[in-house]
Amino acid sequence: MENILEVKNLCKKYDNFELKNITFSLPKGMIMGFIGENGAGKTTTIKAILDIIKSYSGEIKIFGLDNRKYESKIKEDIGVVLDDMFFPEILTPNDIDNAMRGIYKNWDSKMFYDYLKEFSLLPNQQIKTFSKGMRKKLEIVTALSHHPKLLILDEPTSGLDPVARAEITQIFQSILEKEDCSILLSSHITTDLEHIADYITFISNGEIVLSKTTDELLDNYGIVKCREKEFRSIAKKDYIKYIKTKYEYEVLVENKKDFKAKYNIAVIDKITLDDLMVLMIKGEE
Amino acid sequence: MVGFMKKDIAMIKSNFKLIGILLVIYVLMGLLGQMDISFILPFMIVMIMISTFSYDDYNKWDAYSISLPNGRKNSVMSKYITTILMILVTSIITIILSFIISYIKTSTINYEQILITMLGTIFGTLLVLTFMYPVIYKFGLEKARIAIFVIVFGLVIIGGFLFKYVDLSNIGKSLTFLENYLVIILIVITIVMVYVSYKISNNIFSKKEF
Repeated sequence: MENILEVKNLCKKYDNFELKNITFSLPKGMIMGFIGENGAGKTTTIKAILDIIKSYSGEIKIFGLDNRKYESKIKEDIGVVLDDMFFPEILTPNDIDNAMRGIYKNWDSKMFYDYLKEFSLLPNQQIKTFSKGMRKKLEIVTALSHHPKLLILDEPTSGLDPVARAEITQIFQSILEKEDCSILLSSHITTDLEHIADYITFISNGEIVLSKTTDELLDNYGIVKCREKEFRSIAKKDYIKYIKTKYEYEVLVENKKDFKAKYNIAVIDKITLDDLMVLMIKGEE
Repeated sequence: MVGFMKKDIAMIKSNFKLIGILLVIYVLMGLLGQMDISFILPFMIVMIMISTFSYDDYNKWDAYSISLPNGRKNSVMSKYITTILMILVTSIITIILSFIISYIKTSTINYEQILITMLGTIFGTLLVLTFMYPVIYKFGLEKARIAIFVIVFGLVIIGGFLFKYVDLSNIGKSLTFLENYLVIILIVITIVMVYVSYKISNNIFSKKEF
């Protein structure tokens, strides 16, 4: 399968934080959920992909092209929503349309205004009068209106209420149906991703912990809930991490079926991305 | 590039009313008084353009602009070209108004006087741009204000020192031969200085990380 985005051995060092050998790829037409705790390195990775940070090592290819060498060509086909970065808020959607017509070759004013109407955003009102949800919607609409082939969305749903989040998730799904587009979507609200992401890439403390299809992850991984005596009987190689709660042990296993065949422990729950994150980050080995 | 300029112009749109009021004040003062404030409009527009940096900063436009095609380059170039364009437009408006005022008051137009004044004004405003923009790109608007204060303060002290202790009259005499070419020299200096300033800003921004 053709990869739209490839990140290989991306490293970036700060005084108090480091990205270590970030490697993952996003196949064409897919949505990848990019998850991790706050400060895990999601935004830094995205900034490197977009060349907003420069001094990093490693290789990043978008549409098969080097992201620095072919920067302007690549960016014509990328739509972005970045956390807290946008047009100055004294501008109106009309101003944005006017500017974007001179920025993107493929800018589609009709599409932009259709979306504005759909989300009840007034074209002649300053952005600063918009609520947080409206602002996010405007950012998303702006990212979509030049028919991008890759959408890079950093926390597009954070700080929004469930209704707005559902609306925004729906937009992404409908975009994928209509357009030939792939999406890299970072979020720490993982329930949104379980519904729409084809792939999950999990970053923690600057390192990629796993990168798999969502189905593989949710179908195979499981949480074994057991007493201490039962936990002691589990071989170390058969689980990934565990947490000891007040009443029981929660043990993360990579393959529910294999585990069931080997051990006689009754309670194996399906995993959610939230559970996975908590166990991976907080759990002991 | 055009798109970036449209964004910068849209940002100063709300100040056009203020510009209009200044125009009226300028015309009234020109007709009634003796004071020449023809520099006010171009200087005002530079101040307004500088204020756009703080709006950009507040919404992290600079970082966002890099995600757009050719963002790093166009972002800086647009600020320079928009500012220069605005200085020229306001200067031309001022010149036309000055002609009219001069004609109403004296029935003749003092072309030379008006054009020399405006040339000085354009030079002065571009001097502000030349110094301010690289400093703003390097340190941000807040710190740039302090840096500019220090620079101006330093220049004033050095200037004062020179006037007090150094006899400048001879230098003045030896420079008189330049007067004939003053306009051309001024234009060349201005172009070189703005170009160098742009190159420095561009260099700073092209390496900037957010």
